[in-house]
Amino acid sequence: MNARPASGAGLGFRRELIEPLKAGVPEAVRFFELAPENWAGLGGKSARDVRHFSERYPFVCHGLSLSLGGPAPLDEALLRRIKSFMTEHGMTLYTEHLSWSGDDGHLYDLLPIPLTEKAAKWTVDRISRAQDILGMRIGIENASYYVAPPGAEMSEGEFISAIVREGDCLLHLDVNNIYVNSRNFGFDALAFLDALPLERTAYVHVAGHYVEPDGLLIDTHGAEVVDPVWSLLEAAYQRIGPVPTCLERDFNIPDLQQLTAEVEIIARLQTATRQQKAA
Amino acid sequence: MSAPDFQAFQQAFARHIRDPHHTPRPAGVPARRMAVYNELLFNNITGFLDACFPVCRKLIGETRWRRLNRAFYRDWRSHTPWFREIPREFIRYLNEGVIRQPLPAWFAELAHYEWAELAVDTMDCPIPGHDPAGDLMRQPVVLNPARLVLACVWPVHRIGPEYRPRKPQTTQLVVYRDADERVRFVAINPVTARLLGMLATAPTTGIEACLQICVELHHSDPQQLLVFGRGILDDFRAQGLILGTQR
Repeated sequence: MNARPASGAGLGFRRELIEPLKAGVPEAVRFFELAPENWAGLGGKSARDVRHFSERYPFVCHGLSLSLGGPAPLDEALLRRIKSFMTEHGMTLYTEHLSWSGDDGHLYDLLPIPLTEKAAKWTVDRISRAQDILGMRIGIENASYYVAPPGAEMSEGEFISAIVREGDCLLHLDVNNIYVNSRNFGFDALAFLDALPLERTAYVHVAGHYVEPDGLLIDTHGAEVVDPVWSLLEAAYQRIGPVPTCLERDFNIPDLQQLTAEVEIIARLQTATRQQKAA
Repeated sequence: MSAPDFQAFQQAFARHIRDPHHTPRPAGVPARRMAVYNELLFNNITGFLDACFPVCRKLIGETRWRRLNRAFYRDWRSHTPWFREIPREFIRYLNEGVIRQPLPAWFAELAHYEWAELAVDTMDCPIPGHDPAGDLMRQPVVLNPARLVLACVWPVHRIGPEYRPRKPQTTQLVVYRDADERVRFVAINPVTARLLGMLATAPTTGIEACLQICVELHHSDPQQLLVFGRGILDDFRAQGLILGTQR
């Protein structure tokens, strides 16, 4: 299939949304994002559903299981499968989390990498190999975390910058993750943003989170985006321009109309940034 | 060369997540924050297992089910990156893992039966070229590739809160995805299972398969078997288990 790069505002592709989307994709939604771990290698109705939309809209491939910072050997078979899946659906961007997700087996969730020189080098080598196999630069996403692994030798901003520089990869900026971490660890979100290699930003995530009774924020993607996160997105656009941005919603999925209202906010912020730049 | 320090942390962290009640929390990690991970990760796994195995869960009850889920997460190493294959890993654990918890004798087969629905629903297999109206007796038969045959010792398709078998009863089931993408279950007898087996292994016409069965059964009346075979093949075509004949 012809390559279709994503631009503008997009929405996470979910089973629950397929029927309403078939009835009509809202104007504001210019692309979709999916996790290859949930959709590649499927037959039947699921395969036909993805094809129906990938023939009409760009898709971004956002991975979950690669475990870029993990101790187990890099899953090259997974990467080759992802590559053919991306070709099949005209996808041009693959991003993964800057995290690890298993020991000698999968744990199936995203865990924080210790911020050390050796961990950075380890992760860079794996990113390079992944890029060799995919034949393209990949984006790495700043992750949310609840534990700061002990023994850090650098700040997270320095860690991410080193990896993007040494790995010659792209930055996938998640503004909700910055906000969640800034609240849970008491740092300034804007200062953190400015410490990132923003010039390498290829893609942006925005999402909602859950607040526990004791005030801890959990990155659930299960609620509406809060105002401070919209502000952070706006601040990011002022620095990097209207980079393609996806609304992630994975739990408590409301109707399409409600989600579209949030995608429209992304689109409006992008338009405003374009106009400011032009003025 | 020993593993770098960051990997020692990862191993300790993973050990604790797999078995939070029996392994120490990694040094320097606050209890409140560790609890977030323990809960998130285990809930993620149980979400996949609960969705795939509702009958298994109901029949052994919540406490035993969760204990089994935990033992799976703690003891089994899943190497698949695909989330939908977590239930298949659970099946492998039930069949190959060391499980100390007593479970009903039919439990692993029931789990396999429940998993088959998910497996067939998402099976990736192109539909081979075929003539949907072809003569099933005289042309090689084309089976629907989106199918699984389950050969069970227990009558898994009848097990439920009202029926927990005490004695084994050999049961063969075909699970397949029909033209409307719906998953269907059909219980078959051993002769029908043999018939399907033959059609699956090599290009075979209905007549060839029936005559072979006639030989295997030392049946005295081939005509009777041909009539019986034709009826079954026509039914399977109507149900979508047989697509037609080779072109």
